Amino acid sequence: MKLVVLVKQVPNTTRVKLDPKTGNLIREGLESIVNPDDLHALEAALGIKEETGGTVTALSMGPPQAVDALTQAIGMGADKGILLCDRAFAGADTWATSLTLSRAIRKLGEVDLIICGHQAIDGDTAQIGPQVADWLGLAQATYVKEIEHLTPADPDKPGKPGEIIVKRRLENGVERLACQLPALVTVIKELNQPRYAHMERLITACTDKADILVWNAADIGVNTCDVGLEGSNTHVIKTFTPNFKRQKEILEGSRQEVVAELFDRLKKSDTTLSGKFQGRPS
Amino acid sequence: MKKSDTPVKIRSNVEDMVRKTMKDFVDKEVIPIAREYDEQAKFPDHLFKQLGDMGLFGIRYPRDAGGSGGNTTLYCIAMQELARGLMSLGATVAMQCLMATNGLYLYGTPELHERYLYPALKGEKKGAFQLTEPDAGSDLKAVSTRATRTADGWVINGMKTWATSGPRADFHTVLCQTDPSKGLKGLGFFLVPSDTPGFSFSKPFDLLGTRSSSISEIYFSDCHIPAHHHLGQEGQGLSVLLKILAEIRIMTASLALGLHRAAMDDSVQYCKQRTAFGQPIGNYQLIQAKIANMAVNLEAGQLMVDKVTHLIDNGRSCLNEASMAKYFTVESACAAADEATRIFGGYAYSMEYSVQRYYRDNRFLLYGGGTHEVLQTTIGREILSK
Amino acid sequence: MTIWIDQDNCDGCKRCQRVCPYEGIALMDGVARVTDRCTSCGACVEVCKNEAITSDITPRAVPDFSEHKGVWVFAEQTDGVLADVGLELLGKARELARDLNETVSAVLMGQDVAGLCDTLAVHGADTIYLVQDPLLKEYRTIAHANVMETLVNNYKPSILLIGATALGRDLAPRVSRRVGSGLTADCTELSIDVDENTEGSKILWQTRPAFGGNIMATIANRYSRPQMATVRPGVMEKTIVENVNAEIIRISPTLNEGDIKTRILERVKELPKGTDITQANVIVAGGRGIKGKEGFEMLGKLAALLGGELACTRLIVEQGIMAQGSQVGQTGKTVRPEIYIACGISGAIQHRAGMMGSRYIIAINTDPGAPIFDVANWGIVGDVHEIVPEMIAQLSQKGSLS
Repeated sequence: MKLVVLVKQVPNTTRVKLDPKTGNLIREGLESIVNPDDLHALEAALGIKEETGGTVTALSMGPPQAVDALTQAIGMGADKGILLCDRAFAGADTWATSLTLSRAIRKLGEVDLIICGHQAIDGDTAQIGPQVADWLGLAQATYVKEIEHLTPADPDKPGKPGEIIVKRRLENGVERLACQLPALVTVIKELNQPRYAHMERLITACTDKADILVWNAADIGVNTCDVGLEGSNTHVIKTFTPNFKRQKEILEGSRQEVVAELFDRLKKSDTTLSGKFQGRPS
Repeated sequence: MKKSDTPVKIRSNVEDMVRKTMKDFVDKEVIPIAREYDEQAKFPDHLFKQLGDMGLFGIRYPRDAGGSGGNTTLYCIAMQELARGLMSLGATVAMQCLMATNGLYLYGTPELHERYLYPALKGEKKGAFQLTEPDAGSDLKAVSTRATRTADGWVINGMKTWATSGPRADFHTVLCQTDPSKGLKGLGFFLVPSDTPGFSFSKPFDLLGTRSSSISEIYFSDCHIPAHHHLGQEGQGLSVLLKILAEIRIMTASLALGLHRAAMDDSVQYCKQRTAFGQPIGNYQLIQAKIANMAVNLEAGQLMVDKVTHLIDNGRSCLNEASMAKYFTVESACAAADEATRIFGGYAYSMEYSVQRYYRDNRFLLYGGGTHEVLQTTIGREILSK
Repeated sequence: MTIWIDQDNCDGCKRCQRVCPYEGIALMDGVARVTDRCTSCGACVEVCKNEAITSDITPRAVPDFSEHKGVWVFAEQTDGVLADVGLELLGKARELARDLNETVSAVLMGQDVAGLCDTLAVHGADTIYLVQDPLLKEYRTIAHANVMETLVNNYKPSILLIGATALGRDLAPRVSRRVGSGLTADCTELSIDVDENTEGSKILWQTRPAFGGNIMATIANRYSRPQMATVRPGVMEKTIVENVNAEIIRISPTLNEGDIKTRILERVKELPKGTDITQANVIVAGGRGIKGKEGFEMLGKLAALLGGELACTRLIVEQGIMAQGSQVGQTGKTVRPEIYIACGISGAIQHRAGMMGSRYIIAINTDPGAPIFDVANWGIVGDVHEIVPEMIAQLSQKGSLS
């Protein structure tokens, strides 16, 4: 099995601090971590490798310091890392990012399974996996919470592709899906418990001996106008800090009134859950 | 745009990566269970096993000896992080990585390596290092546990106290006297597996601090061991110890840095949350002064530790620098834990907060790795002798 | 691609700094400087009044999208039942279509689902693209993506909205890739930029949370069509239209089982195990004011209705009513849900420290002087044992209406 895991170096958003005066994000001193879902993807790939044999390649796009994500991946057990690093890749939206990643995967040759985290904590888009799958024309399984069975392609039976059977976590249930290999799966935290890096592997991964390659736009054969900010269709127009001021409003009235008032305020608020408080439109 | 003909090499900084990994481990695995294990005075065996799987115990040994190919600097970084989470775990792991296994590594036969060293570095076997006796601590001349030659090996008789991991270790590296007439020149280290007939231990001590570590007395009554369990040449016990004395001290200093960091992190967070007279207590200058002192001492201690680990990794002798670093960082950690209890006020007096644990656990550092009375004396003597 | 700032011409007005989406400009010694966060997007060049900013970026031409018209909504259905989010999106689509002076269409795929068209029409679809095929009986990524791709390429909508459900988030990125268009996930607000009313191309402004909700970003898609966005269920409001007269366009897709590459083996109802409270979106927390286990069962009901988790103060853990893992506060867990409902909690600092980062805090307590009200968005002074049952009643009522 040739496995590829997509990993992303992200700021630890649970420790984000905002400038009390400007309300801007303070990026200085914000620690970088490997995106949590990606660790579960790595663990899944390593588990498969241990069971059926094969190689695990960790692939990341980012600035030079994103090499730390690959170092950690190799420390955990990945065989090699590839860093897609080029000024031209900067500022990419998911369309341009998925193009870049899929070109790199194509350069890797035949791949049996691509595993990535469900979503990254800095963007929460969950788009990269499906888009990479689409660039490569592969079947996909998202929200994977369990890998039930994996049948590698049998080289003696050329017409018959391998298959992976997974359980997907949907809103109110679970779907068992059989997916033709090669395929791409995106995994959620329920899937497994990621291991920590092994010290010997980690130490080696920081030396010249580590199998870490750095590829730029030319290496993967993309035009710089198709990637990064230039290749992106969507652009950030503005960012702003949501108003976190607490209005400390005490609701008054009868029991029915205060609860109705409260739900009305929640409905009108900008929470993504406001729909839970909606009744029939008046 | 050109293809990169000469491949670009980008690599991570190994010290950052080891710290990051250990920090992640401590934040996720150690801190959430620290209070429970301390309160119930039980050792987190599952974490010890997990650290063994991570290859941490071999961090300062070369790969061909079953190690992870790191060095003293990386070892000490890992200990700083572990001690930040739980001192009992940090101290036990520190011993496994260094004192319990170093004699075995240097002088053990291939058979001993196979049987004890490699399993110990993987965390499959627990090792311990036994020096102290009721009448002998820093004064090694007074060691009275006897190793007597027999036809095919040695027989050990005596006892050790303050035996860290006494009840839980699978093997002990024990300092014995082979020839009482020779004093310090008659010392030697012996590997005593705990399944040796005649080996026994007391029930664990009820401790003020590091309550999760199991410390007891251990007894040797006609414990027969084979000749090759004598680690090193006869009468060379002291030099075996001296080889790693600087490292023991800088490891202890690293544990102190970890505790210091924990006390400071908790204090800083608390200063921002707790309000008095309408504002966070961090706005008051007397609190700022406490935080400043903690921070300055932590920074100074870190520099001392970094210097010594650098010297050790470059094969330079630095016993006096290591003693100074141990003395300074431990005193600073004690002061920081003390200040933290003042910042937390009444809440430091409650077992619910970790501050009380730092305050108790720091005492362990005062005695382990050389008492400060002895250290001050040797530091002063060394300087005056030049 | 580089941006230069002519320091002599810069008067430090900060216009460029304010407009930069990436914090790529900082003011130093009273003049603007480019920081390493600059992505050379060029936003600053346009706003500088002193022409102090120059760049070598050739402005990207906006293609002609005059052929692209109409606001589309993907009407998600499973086993013949429409997902609410599709209907909610139709409500939003009407608003957007009004501003654009265009029409609203729904795309409905499945097998034997024609009966759902009426509901779509009632909720605001002017046109319904009805795609029926046995291979569309159950949702499968490639089959649905193939159909959507063909529809978009043939009919050229200007906006395509999809619910950010498990299904929608599986489908939307693939469609976006196929049709070569940008996609913005989990939007909380959608509006037409009426200022940008040049050549009749009014851009869709898509606002969404980023960095774990710490900042909001408004995103535009100027260079491709349709402008695609996913929206979480419950964010938009349904509307009902009078004088329904929807046109139904029936489409027969060409699908091959062999192209689809996946098989659904089974679907089972299975609720996730109780999640970690630090991951919860909604937390209902109880304190000293809650009477025993029965009181917490009541809170549990409220939490379940809101799809949230139950939490508590330290005292409740000490009383053995709940486990340590549910404790919020200095010596418990730190949580940051969207909504935190503090029931019978006075709000000592030890507790507040663990929940202050919540997006919205609601406090219910009998004591009007309780400090919890100082950190709450909305407070109700009253007995939890009366208020919470009322909340449960009103929520269950609403649930049954849709």
